[in-house]
Amino acid sequence: MAEMIKLFVNGNEVEVEAGKNLIDAIGAVGIEIPHLCYHPALGADGNCRMCLVGLEEGGPPLVPACKTPAAEGMKVLLDADHIKKIQHDVLEFQLINHPVDCPVCDQAGECSLQDYYMTYDGQKSRMTVPQVTKSKKMDFGCGVVHDQERCVLCGRCVRFCRQITRTGELGIVNRTDTARVAIFPGRPLDNRYAVNVVDLCPVGAMTSADFRFKQRVWFMKKERGVCHGCSRGCNITIDHNREKDQDDLIYRFRPLFNEQVNGYFICDEGRLSYRDENENRLTEARLSKTTISLDRAVTASLKEFKRAEGIVILISPDCSLEQMVSIKSLAEELGAPLSGFSDGYIKKGDGDDYLIQDDKAANRAGLTALNIDSSQSAFEEALAKAGLLINFNNDLSLFYDESSLKKLFKEKRVIGVTSRDTKLFQMANLVIPVASFTEYSGSIINCDNILQTFNRAITKNDAPLDMSEVAALLGGPLKTNGDRYDKLKKIVVSLNDFNPDTIPATGLKLT
Amino acid sequence: MEVKILSAKFDIEDGHKLEIAKQHGAYATIDKLFSMKPEEVIEEVRNSGLRGRGGAGFPAGVKWGFLPKGTGKPVYLAVNSDESEPATFKDRYILVKDPHMMIEGIIICSYAIGSHDTYIYIRGEYTSQVKALQAAIDEAYEAGYLGDKVAGHDFKLEVTVHRGAGAYVCGEETGLLESIEGKKGQPRAKPPFPAVAGLYGCPTIINNVQSIASLPFILEKGAEAYKVYGTEKSSGTHLFGISGHVEKPGMYELPLGLPLLEVVEKVAGGVWKGRKLKGVIPGGSSTPVLTPEEAKTVTLDYESMAEHKTMFGSGGIVVLDETVDMVKLVENLIYFYHHESCGQCTPCREGLGWMLKIIKKVVRGEGEISDIDLLSELCDNIEMKTVCVLSAACTMPVRSYLTKFRHEFDAYVSEGASTAEANQE
Amino acid sequence: MSDRSQLISTGEPFKFDQERDTEFERLIKRYPERESMILPALWLTQEQEGWISAEAIAYIADRIGTFASKVFECATFYTMYHLHPMGKYHICVCRTLSCWLRDKQAIVDYLRDEIGIEPGQKSEDGKFSLEEVECLGHCGTAPVVQINGEFHEEMDVEKLTALLAELN
Ligand SMILES: Cc1cc2nc3c(=O)[nH]c(=O)nc-3n(C[C@H](O)[C@H](O)[C@H](O)COP(=O)(O)O)c2cc1C
Ligand code: SF4
Ligand code: SF4
Ligand code: SF4
Ligand code: FES
Ligand code: FES
Repeated sequence: MAEMIKLFVNGNEVEVEAGKNLIDAIGAVGIEIPHLCYHPALGADGNCRMCLVGLEEGGPPLVPACKTPAAEGMKVLLDADHIKKIQHDVLEFQLINHPVDCPVCDQAGECSLQDYYMTYDGQKSRMTVPQVTKSKKMDFGCGVVHDQERCVLCGRCVRFCRQITRTGELGIVNRTDTARVAIFPGRPLDNRYAVNVVDLCPVGAMTSADFRFKQRVWFMKKERGVCHGCSRGCNITIDHNREKDQDDLIYRFRPLFNEQVNGYFICDEGRLSYRDENENRLTEARLSKTTISLDRAVTASLKEFKRAEGIVILISPDCSLEQMVSIKSLAEELGAPLSGFSDGYIKKGDGDDYLIQDDKAANRAGLTALNIDSSQSAFEEALAKAGLLINFNNDLSLFYDESSLKKLFKEKRVIGVTSRDTKLFQMANLVIPVASFTEYSGSIINCDNILQTFNRAITKNDAPLDMSEVAALLGGPLKTNGDRYDKLKKIVVSLNDFNPDTIPATGLKLT
Repeated sequence: MEVKILSAKFDIEDGHKLEIAKQHGAYATIDKLFSMKPEEVIEEVRNSGLRGRGGAGFPAGVKWGFLPKGTGKPVYLAVNSDESEPATFKDRYILVKDPHMMIEGIIICSYAIGSHDTYIYIRGEYTSQVKALQAAIDEAYEAGYLGDKVAGHDFKLEVTVHRGAGAYVCGEETGLLESIEGKKGQPRAKPPFPAVAGLYGCPTIINNVQSIASLPFILEKGAEAYKVYGTEKSSGTHLFGISGHVEKPGMYELPLGLPLLEVVEKVAGGVWKGRKLKGVIPGGSSTPVLTPEEAKTVTLDYESMAEHKTMFGSGGIVVLDETVDMVKLVENLIYFYHHESCGQCTPCREGLGWMLKIIKKVVRGEGEISDIDLLSELCDNIEMKTVCVLSAACTMPVRSYLTKFRHEFDAYVSEGASTAEANQE
Repeated sequence: MSDRSQLISTGEPFKFDQERDTEFERLIKRYPERESMILPALWLTQEQEGWISAEAIAYIADRIGTFASKVFECATFYTMYHLHPMGKYHICVCRTLSCWLRDKQAIVDYLRDEIGIEPGQKSEDGKFSLEEVECLGHCGTAPVVQINGEFHEEMDVEKLTALLAELN
């Protein structure tokens, strides 16, 4: 527990955390100080001057809140007329050379400047002389598009590339009001986290080529999620919308702050992985390339089980713990060996010392916790002996090329339980569609042994089933989530106290 | 009225050369210096009342005392030779005519503050001056006054010249440090102050060339001898630069405290061409202008200037004769400060550009009374809201012209540009 | 100030000559951090080439081991760095207060008529470029003109005529 101190804001005593600056300290108790350049991940720069607050007694009368540590007994003045006037004045300077054409700006609806304008100014411009003109729609690389005229020169993007990615592609060139953000010619953004500058930018100066003008932000619904792009499990905000007569579609993933997992950022690949949730989805069951109903698919599967001379079950390391335990129980029921073989998910050397992991599996730690064998030899031996493979969404094509897969599946029957309509699953005799990770609730354990849960964010028009439910339909004994949790607790020591409702949103570090 | 303390060697032929300078007493204080304790040196300087000659007038000895002790980090000395405030042209004389006086001052200061690395930040435009300075430093190294053992004493001192490249804001002490570190000269927010975290994050003292060059005299003759010159609170002498509409513009060393108008008359030959006086800028373009009436009572020291709601500044006196168009002068001023704004913080970056466009509009004869009011309101809205005081260096003088010569601005609005201009003639 | 961020590319790789190389290595020892060499390296480049190209900025960044964006920032922030080739004689006229009071405009007008270029431009034959600059620290001898770094004080049209005649 952090040390608490008492100070006064507008004469009222508040208790805040020591060691933080005024913006964060009193922001935590719900009192907002306007600011543009300060960002907790990047530190205080002190250039925007939006955060000037008054101090009564002692010290200079006017201080930037971002640069001022909260101190015991401090008397902070926010709502006095002269302070409000200063905020208004600084905002006016911020706006005089700003286009203020919010209706055609992509940031509208989530723009700090627009918000402050509504709160503190809202007046007609007194600027009767020509504005400074700069460049627009500049391709900065990595799918980042920059508009110099909208930029308020807060320097967040520049600091991000210098302090966080240490790639330093961006700079603020020139001085005076001709200063602008630029890349050095021929050295555009070139790092795997670049699009974070779009989220960091408090205004509409940095936009994502992928998202630009696809949706007005106020139409979208926001849900929390956990990225399944690698074993980091970064927390994300899923922005989605169901337009009239259409399906629920995801428009973007954005980072969601989680101090112990990903901080404020996510990688660009993870960010773009929302596309896989929308595209190339398996929506209907198929038997030998013919569309069939789910019921028929289940009946057909059960027939396959009976006919098969030996079954082997393969599970994806992306599955949630609930899915894993369901499938494990099904395997026990069928007396089938279960494999989590997924070496293909590990891209040696791809990870970095920041967020990205070599292991592209979201829940390999779950496989380990449930004692599911993942070795290549065990999988291949079991498969060699079996006549039927039930593949629960494991992307074997990450490991085997097409000819090896053909060899592997030779004279085997294959049932694919999958969310993706890929080449691999097109090789299966029977496929059953299931929900992808934004469409079900579940829990996973990340590379640092942090248990995270997430809820269903998306509900498709023809919502596919959760893999756990499919396992139950195929004869798995665990029919409800209650059953699944009970079983989990039994077999995983570290999950003895497992109750998904009590896991904090920030995750639970398992010991 | 003139005295020759700092400028004692300026008229000596080849006085900038070590050999000649030594014949006239250069480096004579070094042995005395090393016989003293650093605290004693600081005490002597504090007693002398020497105030920073870069513009702010902060007592040098007091500033040195702010250095934290025992940080384990190196202490740096940065000598401010940016000299970019319009109407200031004094440090250059020291650099060219008596560089060894400054180097000796650097040795004194370094010993007092326990620093072994000095950077002299010199403005880029001083092309021949930087060569002269480097030549003097090379001589000092050669003669053993700089290097591993200063004049044979167990004290190491390295002096490096760092060239600016056209940015007034690098005269601001933290902009200067940023520039040495290889960055844009964008001033830092304070605290922390440079004495605590300055160059490369280490404790740093920044002093103006003239402040540093004043040290050998103080050390040699003592604080009392220095205080013979000047007033009680503004002791010593200063290199004043007098420019503008006087018969004999130039650089003059004078004790502080002399009546301004007398200096203009007697030293600088009075207003040129027999014209009448319209105003005086007392200490560089960033100091508020004085009307002839105000100028009558002001003396050349920090206190009197403050009493007259202006500043002593850098000692750059500009005399304005009756023909000066104050509206165009303000345009010239705002142009400068806008051009030199580092562009870092919002009110200065955006506000000075706005002010420039407004004053240009007025000068074109397209202004309205509300524009003049807006100008003066913008001065208030910008001032003290910024990271450094460059913005105030613009708004303070501009406000003074707007109040003291408001009728001239109004005339541009009511009579149109050409008539207003003609009336100035 | 006008936009200085449109760099010019020579299409040729840049490199210090022997003399600047030695000077670079000498200077870098004077600083505890390599980035302090950004300004000195830009100066060395300008001394060598007369101006600073995009290639030179990249070279400096790589040589120092820093981001090109940082060198780019400095090259555009400090107005004495020429980011395109100047005339054989680069004439700077001080436009600030004391020089303005002493009629710097007459100097600018004269040069404009005589050479036929506006401040900020270069003559077609490449002989002259003209620039209005801020206070040059010689206000007591205003108005002041600096040509290729050399100061000319107390200028008037007559002196300027004589001076121009000497330049070829
Ligand atoms: C915009 C600005 C420009 C300045 N320019 C100079 C300068 O050119 N030379 C100088 O010595 N001080 C200049 N100063 C003052 C320095 O910040 C600093 O106070 C001074 O160098 C300290 O030295 P001193 O105490 O010996 O005067 C400037 C200050 C500001 C705000
Ligand atoms: S682009 Fe955005 S983040 Fe970057 S400096 Fe401009 S306003 Fe700030
Ligand atoms: S680092 Fe991994 S978990 Fe995080 S966003 Fe990227 S792919 Fe997703
Ligand atoms: S006041 Fe002006 S010069 Fe000073 S930091 Fe702000 S923008 Fe830069
Ligand atoms: S948030 Fe404090 S100055 Fe920008
Ligand atoms: S004003 Fe021209 S040199 Fe100072």
